[in-house]
Amino acid sequence: MTPTRRANAATFVLLVVILVVLAGFAVSAYALLRATRERASAEAARAAAQQAQVQARVAESMAALEAERLREGATANTPAASTAEASAIRIGYSQCNRGEPWREQMDKDIKAHAAKHPEIQLIAKDAQNEALRQIAQVKEFVSGKVDTLIISPKDTSLTAAVAEAFESGIPVIVLDRAVEGEKYTCFIGADNRLIGAEVGKWVVKTLNGTGNVVELKGLASTIPSRDRSEPFHDALKSTGIKVLYEADMEWLSDRAREKMQAALSRNPQKGSIQLVYGANDPAAIAAYNAAKDAGRENEIIFVGVDALPHEGVEMVRRGVLAATFEYPNGADLAIETALRLKKGEAVPKKITLGTRLFTRENVDQGGTPIPAKP
Amino acid sequence: MSPDRGRTPLERWFLPDRSVWRAIGALVSVLVLGCLWNADGAFFALGTHLDALWFIAPFGILACGLTVVIISGGIDLSVGSLVALSGVVFYLLLARHEVPGPIAAATAIGIASVCGVTSGLLVGFARVPPFIATLGMMAFARGLAKSPWTSDNVKITQYPDPSFVAMLNARIPPLGTPLIVPVFAVAAACTWFFLRRLVSGTRTYAIGDNERAAVCAGVPVRRVKLLAYSIGGLMAGLAGVFFAALERQGNPDGGTGYELTAIAIVVVGGTSLAGGSGGASLTVLGTLTIGYIRKILDINAVETSTQNMIFGAIVVGAALMQSVRPSRR
Repeated sequence: MTPTRRANAATFVLLVVILVVLAGFAVSAYALLRATRERASAEAARAAAQQAQVQARVAESMAALEAERLREGATANTPAASTAEASAIRIGYSQCNRGEPWREQMDKDIKAHAAKHPEIQLIAKDAQNEALRQIAQVKEFVSGKVDTLIISPKDTSLTAAVAEAFESGIPVIVLDRAVEGEKYTCFIGADNRLIGAEVGKWVVKTLNGTGNVVELKGLASTIPSRDRSEPFHDALKSTGIKVLYEADMEWLSDRAREKMQAALSRNPQKGSIQLVYGANDPAAIAAYNAAKDAGRENEIIFVGVDALPHEGVEMVRRGVLAATFEYPNGADLAIETALRLKKGEAVPKKITLGTRLFTRENVDQGGTPIPAKP
Repeated sequence: MSPDRGRTPLERWFLPDRSVWRAIGALVSVLVLGCLWNADGAFFALGTHLDALWFIAPFGILACGLTVVIISGGIDLSVGSLVALSGVVFYLLLARHEVPGPIAAATAIGIASVCGVTSGLLVGFARVPPFIATLGMMAFARGLAKSPWTSDNVKITQYPDPSFVAMLNARIPPLGTPLIVPVFAVAAACTWFFLRRLVSGTRTYAIGDNERAAVCAGVPVRRVKLLAYSIGGLMAGLAGVFFAALERQGNPDGGTGYELTAIAIVVVGGTSLAGGSGGASLTVLGTLTIGYIRKILDINAVETSTQNMIFGAIVVGAALMQSVRPSRR
């Protein structure tokens, strides 16, 4: 072939590839469009049904209210709205990074719980994992004079900003990650050490005290990784359970899959691994996938931590994970605490959250709560 | 110019240039290391080798595309984000919109290719430095993968696995070779054919070797660069589909740092980051070398901190070996 003909051949091949790809584009765009339209009409129908339901419920409660008033013999002239208006509460909420699924769930929960109380006006901001941005957000909330500040700080660099808000008279509720010092109103956080210990207890009970375990730890430099691992090892001491293989998966599911493959090839006999403990649910799920690729998923029990509703809990329901332990985000307590502060009630300086065990047996009942240690 | 120039076909096959022998030497020494440090015999099991190939093959596909870009004297930092984008689009169409698998895969690869073409236009026609243009594409593609139109920043999954995903994860009898391995072989062969048998490939070498000389010789520099980055995007899209199938999810946070692994593969193979030399066969050897290093460290349960140090030392060592090589210019 001459150089020109070769160049033409290259161009031709590229053209064919592009044409095929464009055809794929067109077909899927069409499918997407159709699916979207179908979904939109289904959603409209559902929304209409929902609205009818809501209207029915409103009418019902109005009737009940009216009946009560008539019974009491009072004339109905106090508008309910004005009482809500008088005690309206503006909550500033600063999230350090909405990009993480667990924190996204926290945002959703905060919004859902705030929506239950019509007097709450929630102003939510996301710092996109930048401390400086979050400091600026706290200052905006202070100058905007919110009634309460709920903050899940990126790290301790928020200490000064939080203290400034606290000293200006705004109650500050710190969620999940702590700041230094005492200049905040209330800290609400979960306890990874409790979770690690509870996982250990559950594993000892489930394996009847003997067996071989693989542990996929989080990123070694992070404190949650250590806290979920050390009490787990303590719980296995003086039992017949051995940790065959432990490795850092750096909180990444692809690394977890790689590490699980290595664990399987180190222990190639079927039945040589009884259980895998993933320091978060994605790791446990990735380990399940790796075992499935090796045809060994049915002989191993998989346990995870976090229990996000669409992730860990869903996988327990489907039978992929045997159990998952909730790492609670405290959203409900944060909103409740904000309301109590508004009423002038005293709140504890530190609230430690318990955990919740989800297994195949109890997942449909919403799991079993495990309270925090006093 | 292509190192094959001026050789008889016999010499081409039996006297590969020294960089190939170096890459083979690196691979053999890694395999010897594996035999010595065999984790109670786990290294001698067939499954270990299949797992090593299975794990590294998608990275190899990424590296094939990157090889072309690097030979042209450029760099593509966006491949990791393109992996995430392609995986998200693939799973979105497959799981949420029930589009047939091949079409979903073609669309995913197509979108990644369009991103590659855009990078190519920026580098070739707008003369944006490759580092900047692909850095921009890296951020843009990541944003697109997380946007409300695609994943809305949530991992897309379906259970049980869509049948097409099960097909992509299938193993081929009699050995149980994962499907991804022959796909990687085909991708590498296509890259080799492009670089060594098509005139555009020769021109890629010419541009990477000396861009000004190539311009003077009448090489259509802009078009060839466009082609190189398009191939990079195409391969990243292909790898992204396989990564998504392996993880059984479209993960908008996936592929983070994959560009660095792919660059390490290319460099360890012996393709110079300065451009103008290297090739697909070197990248295949580099893929195997990196794949086996990681597998050996993993089956011996080496701490991540130590793994990172060893990995860094090996990449630097490979670069040192290259600087010893007599310059081609």
